[in-house]
Amino acid sequence: MPLLDKLRAIVGPAHVLAGTELSPYVIEGRTPEAAVRPGSVDEVAAVIAQAAEAGVPVVPWGGGSAVGVGVPPARAGLVLLLTRLSALVEHEPGDLTATAQAGVTVAALQAALRARGQWLSLDPPDAARATLGGVLAANASGPRRHLYGTARDLLIGVTVVTADGAVVHGGGKVVKNVAGYDLPKLFIGSYGTLGVIVEATVKLRPVPDEERLVAVRFERLEDAGAAVRALLASDLIPNAVDLMDAPAGAALGLPPAPATLAVGFDGLGEQVDWQVAALASVVAPCGGAKPAPLPPALWERLAAAARDAFDAPAAMMTLSVLPGVVADTMEQGAEAARQRGLASAWCAHAGVGHVTATLRAEGERQDAAPIAAVLEDWRAAAHAGGGHASVTWAPLPVKSALPVWDDAGAAGRLMQRIKAQLDPNNVLNPGRFVGGI
Amino acid sequence: MAHATSETPAPLTLHGLSVEGVNQCVHCGLCLASCPTFSELGTEMDSPRGRIVLIRSLAEGRIGLSDSTVQHLSLCLDCRACETVCPAGVPYGRLIEAAKAEIERQRPGGPVRRAFRWINFDLLLRHPRMLRLAAAGLRLYQASGLQALVRTSGLIRALPGTLPAWEALLPPLPAAGRAPLPALTPAAGARRGRVAMLTGCVQSVVFGAHNRATARVLARNGWDVVAPAGQGCCGALNAHGGDHARALEMARRTIEAFEGERVAAIVVNTSGCGAHMKAYGTLLAEDPAWAERARRFAATVRDVAEFLAGAALRGPLQPVPMTVTYHDPCHVVHGQKIRTAPRALLAQIPGLRVVDLPESDWCCGSAGIYNLTQPEMAGRLLRRKVRHVLGTGASAVVTANPGCILQIQQGLHEAGSPVRVLHIVEILDRAYSSEGGCAPLPNLPPPSAAAKPPLERGNSNA
Amino acid sequence: MATLTAGRKPVLRRELEALVGADGVLSEPDELLVYESDGLTLFRALADFIVFPTSVEQVSAVVRLANREAIPFVARGAGTGLAGGCLPAEGGLVISLMRMNRVLEVDYDNQIAVVEPGLVNLHLSQAVGPRGFYYAPDPSSQQACTIGGNIATNSGGPHTLKYGVTVNHVLGLEVVLPDGEIVWLGGRTRDALGYDLAGVFVGSEGTFGIATKIVVRILRKPQAVKTVLAVFDRIEQASAAVSAIIARGLVPAAVEMIDQLTIQAVEDAFGCGYPRDAAAALLIELDGLAVAMETQAERIVAACRDAGAREVRTAASEAERQLLWKGRKSAFGAYGRVSPAYMVMDGVIPRTKLPYVLGRVNEIVAAHGLRVGNVFHAGDGNLHPNILYDPRKPGEEARVVDAGAQIMKVCAEVGGSISGEHGIGLEKADFMPFIFTAADLAFMQRLKDAFNPRGLCNPGKVFPTRKSCVETGPVAYRPHAIETQGLAQRF
Repeated sequence: MPLLDKLRAIVGPAHVLAGTELSPYVIEGRTPEAAVRPGSVDEVAAVIAQAAEAGVPVVPWGGGSAVGVGVPPARAGLVLLLTRLSALVEHEPGDLTATAQAGVTVAALQAALRARGQWLSLDPPDAARATLGGVLAANASGPRRHLYGTARDLLIGVTVVTADGAVVHGGGKVVKNVAGYDLPKLFIGSYGTLGVIVEATVKLRPVPDEERLVAVRFERLEDAGAAVRALLASDLIPNAVDLMDAPAGAALGLPPAPATLAVGFDGLGEQVDWQVAALASVVAPCGGAKPAPLPPALWERLAAAARDAFDAPAAMMTLSVLPGVVADTMEQGAEAARQRGLASAWCAHAGVGHVTATLRAEGERQDAAPIAAVLEDWRAAAHAGGGHASVTWAPLPVKSALPVWDDAGAAGRLMQRIKAQLDPNNVLNPGRFVGGI
Repeated sequence: MAHATSETPAPLTLHGLSVEGVNQCVHCGLCLASCPTFSELGTEMDSPRGRIVLIRSLAEGRIGLSDSTVQHLSLCLDCRACETVCPAGVPYGRLIEAAKAEIERQRPGGPVRRAFRWINFDLLLRHPRMLRLAAAGLRLYQASGLQALVRTSGLIRALPGTLPAWEALLPPLPAAGRAPLPALTPAAGARRGRVAMLTGCVQSVVFGAHNRATARVLARNGWDVVAPAGQGCCGALNAHGGDHARALEMARRTIEAFEGERVAAIVVNTSGCGAHMKAYGTLLAEDPAWAERARRFAATVRDVAEFLAGAALRGPLQPVPMTVTYHDPCHVVHGQKIRTAPRALLAQIPGLRVVDLPESDWCCGSAGIYNLTQPEMAGRLLRRKVRHVLGTGASAVVTANPGCILQIQQGLHEAGSPVRVLHIVEILDRAYSSEGGCAPLPNLPPPSAAAKPPLERGNSNA
Repeated sequence: MATLTAGRKPVLRRELEALVGADGVLSEPDELLVYESDGLTLFRALADFIVFPTSVEQVSAVVRLANREAIPFVARGAGTGLAGGCLPAEGGLVISLMRMNRVLEVDYDNQIAVVEPGLVNLHLSQAVGPRGFYYAPDPSSQQACTIGGNIATNSGGPHTLKYGVTVNHVLGLEVVLPDGEIVWLGGRTRDALGYDLAGVFVGSEGTFGIATKIVVRILRKPQAVKTVLAVFDRIEQASAAVSAIIARGLVPAAVEMIDQLTIQAVEDAFGCGYPRDAAAALLIELDGLAVAMETQAERIVAACRDAGAREVRTAASEAERQLLWKGRKSAFGAYGRVSPAYMVMDGVIPRTKLPYVLGRVNEIVAAHGLRVGNVFHAGDGNLHPNILYDPRKPGEEARVVDAGAQIMKVCAEVGGSISGEHGIGLEKADFMPFIFTAADLAFMQRLKDAFNPRGLCNPGKVFPTRKSCVETGPVAYRPHAIETQGLAQRF
């Protein structure tokens, strides 16, 4: 029996897409052989087992918001859509934990949790589209990671379907757990290369009494960088410290300024009031203007400020650097682009050294060489800042002009060994990840 | 947890001395980082928990007393820092003393070592007259220039065994003829009561000034101070050195010497003696004739700082304008759990600034005669102590034990530092002297310009 | 696996001495004996050598030598672990990291420190304290345990309720892999490139290699701290108060419970100020901004009073606060005053199951004719029932082991875990099937094979037991009581 027929037998004919139905699932110009929408964990397992047997690669797909990340695949294979697995399986407020299926969107999950006074303290961009499983697989995060961390600080249990179609659990449903290896950490940020996340258990927090976002304008980026350092050394406990250059600030509709620092606070009302007032005296010596309130709607747009700066981006890169050098990195990066005649936009979760940059496409025909050269400069800047940088989006010619992922060195070989152990036949999202995994 | 699985476990002993206390150890390891030797070496046989395993294994017959075991048990300072942090209340000091006694029993050593021990424990410590005689001889050695010759000529390196370390630590002995403490120092001002003082063995010879200062300070605080005749060594050095039998004998003699006095307290200004005398009750618990007497005696023993801190110091106190730091002698802070009293006293002295000493409650390496028997480790701990002292910027270290004073002062000399080491009674005594802080520092030799040999020399053949 | 013959040992000793120096190798029988257990004396195993490297190069060289000889090796820190995780279960080398104990670098601007694995946990906080920083994970043994050991077990501590466990504070690791290769996992920045190998390494109980440098986050000390002691006449009231606090939208830094038996032991030890007649007490700590600290404390006090607390008070001074914490953190050792031995259990349950599970624990222990003391991280649902017994009484140890297994089963049944912070080690390897399927364990085994393909690095841990014919060292190994009774087995 051909693979498609087998898949139809597993999930029902309506949930196997082929032909023109596949147009939304084209990956970097390659059309998959089919897309399949399983309705249960068992169906996911059966689908992967069949694909593995047929030697067809499987590309897990949540909301599709990060599908452009990584090396273009040699073969798009079978797209595994997880959107039907969208149940909130369990939420016990007294335990401050919840278990949900991978296909639930972040927005839907948060709405259900908030209705009971709690939330998952993870705020990646595109919450309406991004799914829980996808956010975990891509290790996506947002501004509040400054205080609450990333998926590795919140994910306590995970269920995956492995490359041979087995259902495997790691972690558990309790907030503290050292039994067995920490499989949740293994799957976070693994881009579906080791297993397909089908269910996750996360730690929750009570919704704070109050939350406020304020903006501080600076005449120079380096002054804003000094303000970030002063803020980190102060007694204040912000939940977000985001730094934007002029184009990124403009994308959010902020008043024009060479640099804007968006700072968030949450907690009891008096705590928020006191901190906003204290912030003024922390940033003023560094040349910061008086903090001005920002509309709450801006929260969810902060992380994508650089991406949204240009209608036609030429490339995007994420840099991970030491917090102390974020402003310098942004300044050097923008200068490197200018020297090659290109405009760029920069934003950063500055307190944790997570920097996002976008290059603007100039004109219709885009030469890949100068773009790749700028990206190489940016990568060098990240290395100088103690970190690393990877291309998160770029047209195919650019992606073929420089390594998409940074070099993981000796650790990369260990990653390859892990991949070889856990997915020996290269079934799961092959060839797209760090080190050729 | 115990290893024994027999139905009626016999009490664990080492040649009659109970080490049943090993069963209180639950092997949690919280003591490890507080142990100076473990901290230096990182080897668990040189930690309290590891030594307890060795002692238990010896008592159970699981191991014999090998060279290795002897070495690890001997390296224990008996500083009892582990007792302070032990949540299970393991009586570590008693265990290690039993182990050291066992080592002495099984391994008395060669004739030279035995002779040496005999001179120390049998001759000098038991016979105050002999000790004074020996001191006179040493004074002659110092005064005649022979000491300088030995130190500068390199002859010191030829001395056998641990003798070089002995030599280096030799304090400048005060000239003979200084009056010993009078039998009674009457109270000044309104009389509070009567206390007795232990004048000590080595203490009275080397640090007579401390005794006189102690008596003056007590008197200024309204106490008649008696120094009972017939007292000698309390036996602490014997006990720590594994000479259990002699320690018992000296304890009985000390009790006898003080029993007749009707005093509010027996005040001690040497920490090893104070801690040891407070433990007479346990030491003599097996002796029906002495158990009760020992308990009563022990209950009246007080460290001098502990005793004085019981009430506010009587004024007037003159300013002592200097910066000092306080080093906790092991047998004050760990042996007697006295931590706040000395600091509370120093805080009452006008003009005196007291800065914290990092690891203030760590052993300086003196530890009775440890600096003589284990000069290498003693040297490491001393250098660590000196580094911390110099880091404070203080001009003097205040402490409360002659061993610490000698050791730290010697370490500071070697480091070329002018920082002085004072007994707490000395600084109190200065505050009571009419000149206050302007009085000359009592009983302090000038830092010797003659280069002393580095402390660790001579240890390889020790 | 090769058995070390008597003739081979002196040769190997000389080779090891050439690598780490003569004073860096132990092989005397009495010395090996001292290393036969960690903080859990239920298990004992003798090494052939204890080796003390002082650099990553030495660790790597020793590991390569072990590979050449095909002898097993295991890293050891302070040996305060409570699951037998650092025991040389199959003999071979114990690699002690106690001579690699430096703080190599502190970067206050970026709030990270680079340390060696043998550094005592508390010493890091002491090192950065003068600049207003501290290292957050605070296992109760923090005065002695090492950061390398914390990495192995992913240690927690009272303040993990708010600040997370060790892995949440580790950014990067220099690791000697089981074949001797030196690699960096993660780094100094927050986000890893590729798989989160540092995250996976933490908590792998020494089976993935040996960490030789550790990049950790250091945190600013909070502006204010408030410690509340709530005293209850019934233990169920204390359990209910934990849920009530959470329900009021509060996440304190720590919520610790301590029961009567434990209170009396720590009061005997240090006189910390817990009321001896209380059935249970909650030690609750709030930290953060000074502003509104009172408001939060009032919420806590109200929640405790509503749950039936007979007394609620806040520590009046830093000294009183330290004393209360000293009592809490010394509790395990203090059991030495009321019992010649005890076995610490470490299970986790959903917070809401606390009253039920505590009741079951008491029933199980009573049914075995034993006593239990409870002191645990109530806010996390991380239980520590401590079963007291006298190993010299025939049969008691076996009853303890059986009661412990039943308690673990209860934890598993309510959706919990068999270890919250102590690790699986030797102790709980056979309990793994309580919470993991064969497929789960097979997947973990494959992950282990990627790091440790020859299985030489800390064999016999984490996974359920298998038989082996390897002998231990020259000092005769005495089977434990529970082994002779067939209750547990060594391999």
